[in-house]
Amino acid sequence: MTEVDLVIVGAGPAGMSAAVTAAEIGLSVLLLDEQPAAGGQIYRNVAKADETRGDILGKDYTYGLELVTAMRSASITHVTDATVWKIGEDGTVAYSVNGKASLVQGRKVILATGALERPVPIPGWTLPGVMTAGAAQILLKQSGLVAERAVICGSGPLIYLIAQQMIRAGKPPLAIIETQTKSDLLNAMRHLPHALRGWRYLMKGAKLLSEIKRAGVMRVTGAENLEIEGDTEVRAIAFTHRGQTTRIQCNLVLLHQGVVPNTQATRSLRLEHAWSSAQRCFHPITNEWGLSSLETVYVAGDGAGIGGAKAAEQAGAISALHVAFALGFITKADRDKRAAPILRLQSAELALRPFLDRAYPPSDQVLKPADDTVICRCEEVTAGDIRAYARLGCTGPNQAKAFGRSGMGPCQGRYCGLTVTELLSQETGTTPDAVGSYHIRPPLKPITLGELATLEQTLTDETKGLI
Amino acid sequence: MEADYAIIGGSIVGLSIAWGLLKRGRRVLVLDGDDGSFRASRGNFGLVWVQGKGLKQPAYARWTQKSAAAWADFSAELGESTGYNLALQQAGGYDFYFDEESLEQRVAEFETLKKELGGDYPFEVLRHNELKREEPNIGPRVAGAILHHQDGHLNPLRLLKSLADDVRRMGGTVKCGVPVKRISKRDLFEIEAEDGTIYAAPKFVLSAGLGAMDLGPQLGFSAPIRPQRGQVLITEKLPKMMNRPSGIIRQVDEGSVQIGDSKEEVGLDDRVTLETASAIAARAVAVYPDLAKAKLVRSWGALRIMSPDGFPIYQESSTTPGAFLVTCHSGITLAAAHARYLPAWLDGSDQAPNLEVFSEQRFAIS
Repeated sequence: MTEVDLVIVGAGPAGMSAAVTAAEIGLSVLLLDEQPAAGGQIYRNVAKADETRGDILGKDYTYGLELVTAMRSASITHVTDATVWKIGEDGTVAYSVNGKASLVQGRKVILATGALERPVPIPGWTLPGVMTAGAAQILLKQSGLVAERAVICGSGPLIYLIAQQMIRAGKPPLAIIETQTKSDLLNAMRHLPHALRGWRYLMKGAKLLSEIKRAGVMRVTGAENLEIEGDTEVRAIAFTHRGQTTRIQCNLVLLHQGVVPNTQATRSLRLEHAWSSAQRCFHPITNEWGLSSLETVYVAGDGAGIGGAKAAEQAGAISALHVAFALGFITKADRDKRAAPILRLQSAELALRPFLDRAYPPSDQVLKPADDTVICRCEEVTAGDIRAYARLGCTGPNQAKAFGRSGMGPCQGRYCGLTVTELLSQETGTTPDAVGSYHIRPPLKPITLGELATLEQTLTDETKGLI
Repeated sequence: MEADYAIIGGSIVGLSIAWGLLKRGRRVLVLDGDDGSFRASRGNFGLVWVQGKGLKQPAYARWTQKSAAAWADFSAELGESTGYNLALQQAGGYDFYFDEESLEQRVAEFETLKKELGGDYPFEVLRHNELKREEPNIGPRVAGAILHHQDGHLNPLRLLKSLADDVRRMGGTVKCGVPVKRISKRDLFEIEAEDGTIYAAPKFVLSAGLGAMDLGPQLGFSAPIRPQRGQVLITEKLPKMMNRPSGIIRQVDEGSVQIGDSKEEVGLDDRVTLETASAIAARAVAVYPDLAKAKLVRSWGALRIMSPDGFPIYQESSTTPGAFLVTCHSGITLAAAHARYLPAWLDGSDQAPNLEVFSEQRFAIS
């Protein structure tokens, strides 16, 4: 088995910056990532995107080139197209590339697995022609494809960015239907003084909104009762606003209700997690260095709590410094000296977050889906089914999973996990922390039995007697 | 609430007993643990299995056969009242062998047991070619199999759900998310939950799986049980590729192939390990080579509840009569017996099965 000082999972901003920081100090670093090129979702394909695409996607995207370039010059083993499917508490990481499984032993592991878009279970969300706004943006980054005759729906600043990019690409969205309300904005205002430290982002937001306005894109806030219509594919989206129903014919619906930490890997390690009532999601508990409840494992970036790309980049460097210290490469004083300026920047970077969390909360319709709305797409389990299991005595998601198969499909609960926790919390009158989440076990991504079986020869002989 | 019986443990063993007691007109209160409790009922393999059980204790083989024979009726009755199809199939099951020698050895043991059971042990030996006719997808390394006609399998999660449903439907009270802290006996059994609530009943059944390790001694049981980990792999849903289940591999009614039957003594640790997962995967691929291409979508570890000899324990407390310990590692196979025959024993009725050989006394002798 290969042994390295540090295994990093994920080559987004947190993973890249952790890798560069650690490699520069002299640690041996193995960086595992699912994509064919570094960048993560935020800087996806940034090294290959041409100038036009760079112009459409903007400076915040092309900034990723700096990170990718820095990574190339450092001595990092970057394994692309690598699916990590099991992480051990001792730092053993199992991954597959092109159907071949390998094992690597890291003295420490940094998980930089980022965020997922919050699932948006509303009527019609499983129809062909519905995708997440983030997915539409990835199509643009990866392949230069722009959604046509699309309506963007939901809540969150990413919506404005995508709308702007679509406008610049010459295919503006037909409408932007937002679910956050004026009172959400009022609630957020008390965080505004603090948020002013993040004034650059506020300016950027204002600029996006004025660009959207100039382009004449219809925009509604406080929309309720969203319903995507169509038999075999999307034909329209309907919603109510101040009691009036509006229907917009369209071919595509792009849904977005913010992003949440991807906790599949951290849950599989049984790290301690907590519920964030501000962000309505679970996150692993980490200290200021990103160290989890397990001393081998760090979590850096959005995977530890949503903070955005820059904060993730800073978190990656900070975790790498702590790893370097823990493994004896640098002294405590050196670690603290290097970390201090990064920590200051990070605090400014995160200043805006409480404002954004209040101003763009997930909608009630998504947190309390109607009984007939499918919430587990893999096994076609509805919100009403989950409520019925609660009446049958399910106090947590694992019992609900046993009763109705929600979370048992190929997505392994990524789509329905948070919804099931929210629903059971509502039904049983207990907190999401008390309700808990699905048990996540390997494989984190499906692998073939053949791949798993071939590892048998490389492992110890203790279970050979089975055959 | 007034109850004749308080049952601690609301998974398959506890609910089967509750179901049977309700059918006898008893009022039951079931107290169940929380979402994180170790639950063999959620992690098991779904076999209704006779072969290989009780080789050194024919009474256990007979009890198992009695339950297997009661299963069809039990499943039909549950299905009728709840509308769930348990997907019970009792068309026989295999034990695969990779070499002739261990196959022959096993056959000799089966012959001995068969005599002790008066011939009621319908099994046959299938050599590779005969097996291939039954299971065309079998791999070249499989030397043969023992086909036992009393074996079968079902959907264990649907069994759990239908029991949870039907016990409530019949008026049983089921309290979930109430781990029990203490049990004492005054006039009634008093059961204190972790939240401080006290539940009381004149009779009491401890069917809390591994929870009995702590709770049993409070009522004078020795409860000599231990956890034994089994790891399970499950594939994506596949077209039908096997006709009968085996102890290590089966295709469930929904299409997924389930692989299991590892045994590890690791205490209260239900994690999965690469060593075992890859070993059972390799064994499954050796039996059905096509599985190499199948996608593994989930795996889990679950803890069996093992007694020193592997047989169930049915024991009334000698220090506090009216308290019963019921524990076994074959909760699915024995569910029919627990629902149909055990309640009479709990009630002290004349129709009660003789379960003396399954008392805790057997561990005191040696």
